[in-house]
Amino acid sequence: MNDAPRDHPILQLTGVGVTYPPATEALVDVSFQVDVGELIAVVGPNGAGKSTLFKAISGLVNHHGSVELCGNHCHHQRDRLGAAYIPQRSDLDVDFPITVGQLVLAGRRRFLRLGQRPGQRHRQAAHDALERVGLADLRRRPLGTLSGGQMQRAFLARALAQEARLILLDEALSGVDEPRTEALFDLFADLAASGTSLLVATHDLSLARRRFSRCLAVNRRLVGDGPPGQALDSDHIEATFGTAPRSSSAA
Amino acid sequence: MIDWFTDPYRTQFMQHAAITALLIGVLAPTIGVWVVLRRLAYLGDAMSHGILAGVAGAYLTGISITVGALAAGVTMGLLVALFDRQRRLGHDSAIGVAETLMFATGLILISRNDRIGVDLTHFLLGQIVTTTRSDIIVNSGLTAVALCIVAFTFSDLRNVTFDAGHARQVGIPVGPLRLVLIVLISITVVVSLGTVGLLMSVAMLITPAATARLLTQRIETMTAVAIAIGVLSALVGLTASYHLATPPGPTIALVTVACFAVATVTTLRRRT
Repeated sequence: MNDAPRDHPILQLTGVGVTYPPATEALVDVSFQVDVGELIAVVGPNGAGKSTLFKAISGLVNHHGSVELCGNHCHHQRDRLGAAYIPQRSDLDVDFPITVGQLVLAGRRRFLRLGQRPGQRHRQAAHDALERVGLADLRRRPLGTLSGGQMQRAFLARALAQEARLILLDEALSGVDEPRTEALFDLFADLAASGTSLLVATHDLSLARRRFSRCLAVNRRLVGDGPPGQALDSDHIEATFGTAPRSSSAA
Repeated sequence: MIDWFTDPYRTQFMQHAAITALLIGVLAPTIGVWVVLRRLAYLGDAMSHGILAGVAGAYLTGISITVGALAAGVTMGLLVALFDRQRRLGHDSAIGVAETLMFATGLILISRNDRIGVDLTHFLLGQIVTTTRSDIIVNSGLTAVALCIVAFTFSDLRNVTFDAGHARQVGIPVGPLRLVLIVLISITVVVSLGTVGLLMSVAMLITPAATARLLTQRIETMTAVAIAIGVLSALVGLTASYHLATPPGPTIALVTVACFAVATVTTLRRRT
């Protein structure tokens, strides 16, 4: 576990911006802070830059501005090992021949050297992560045979195996039916209570209003930050959803 | 029936051919699994052509053909990466331009030296029945090295192929692993040179692995099935070519396609 002092914010973004070549500004001057155990919705239309924001935090796209994780400036990829980005299902080949157990064990790779096989301690950690999300019985199943909700749980287990302090879920609830969405929120609450912070990107306003106590409204810029009643009031909604979405390359 | 299989292998040159066929039957499908899963079939095809430049360059300068081919493979990979920086072009266009550059250079280098002319057909179409003992030793060494690299990087290759973003996050060297895969494809093409030939090496690289992908849901079993298909195709194709007096390379390639056809029909029937 990355033992940052609990008085540090888990995440501190200052003036973060992303420009895709040749000159598409996908994200402009975004600053906010995430504390330990917060469960936050990142709300915005398709193409607003939610995925780009997550990729910038994870170091998967070049950005300017500063990202601090657990009080440490992220200069290198290794400084971001405490963050786990779970991409949209549509960004992955979910029919890929990988079992649930192998997927979760991938989270332990941060603790291993090149070519080192995971020992009993790592296998146990992966098993514990799977138990925590309720998928221990499915560890031998191919990932592609899982339902949408189960798949999100499997990716959460990978993040838990990684011992991530911050989990970034991109459109995690798309294609998940209502009962399973409820069950996922129970799991989110459980993780948040144990000190993991979660950012959940969604374009579903009503879901954000019902289930989150803090929302970040994003449309290339951070246009609202606070409780849903404040961040998603009519002015902020106009600023967030009122303009036409940018090109999909900025997603 | 047994005689049909054993008769051709009474002579030493056919025994050498069988050993070489076995090597390529194991190696190409093992690497092909990753080429298929990463959807790099076109890169594999293009590299088999582009490596001709390295083979021709090695002939002209007198260095080892293996070294020349590996250098050409890595150069080709770097060229594709360079051309890929033009974001207006798709990955396939970048590969196509790099392939044109390397293949055309190879052909021009060959035309500069009459001595290579005889061997060009050898490399393009393969001459498995002229395999020598030293060819077998070199090819065995290369195959062993490639298989060790795959075994050493297996789980990282899986993680990078499935979710490159997460792989980078947990510290897997994503860029170097791509280079490793290019070296592995180059080694496969080098070992194919003397058997199925450059033009048909893509058959052994892609078809057994693609067939195995249709039939399996785990990479471990996919690799095992791909190897089984590769070895079976190589031996059946070589034996058939002896009896039918057809060129061994294309005959082996057609057997791999026959396996693919059977797997396609089987999986389609299972779904309907």
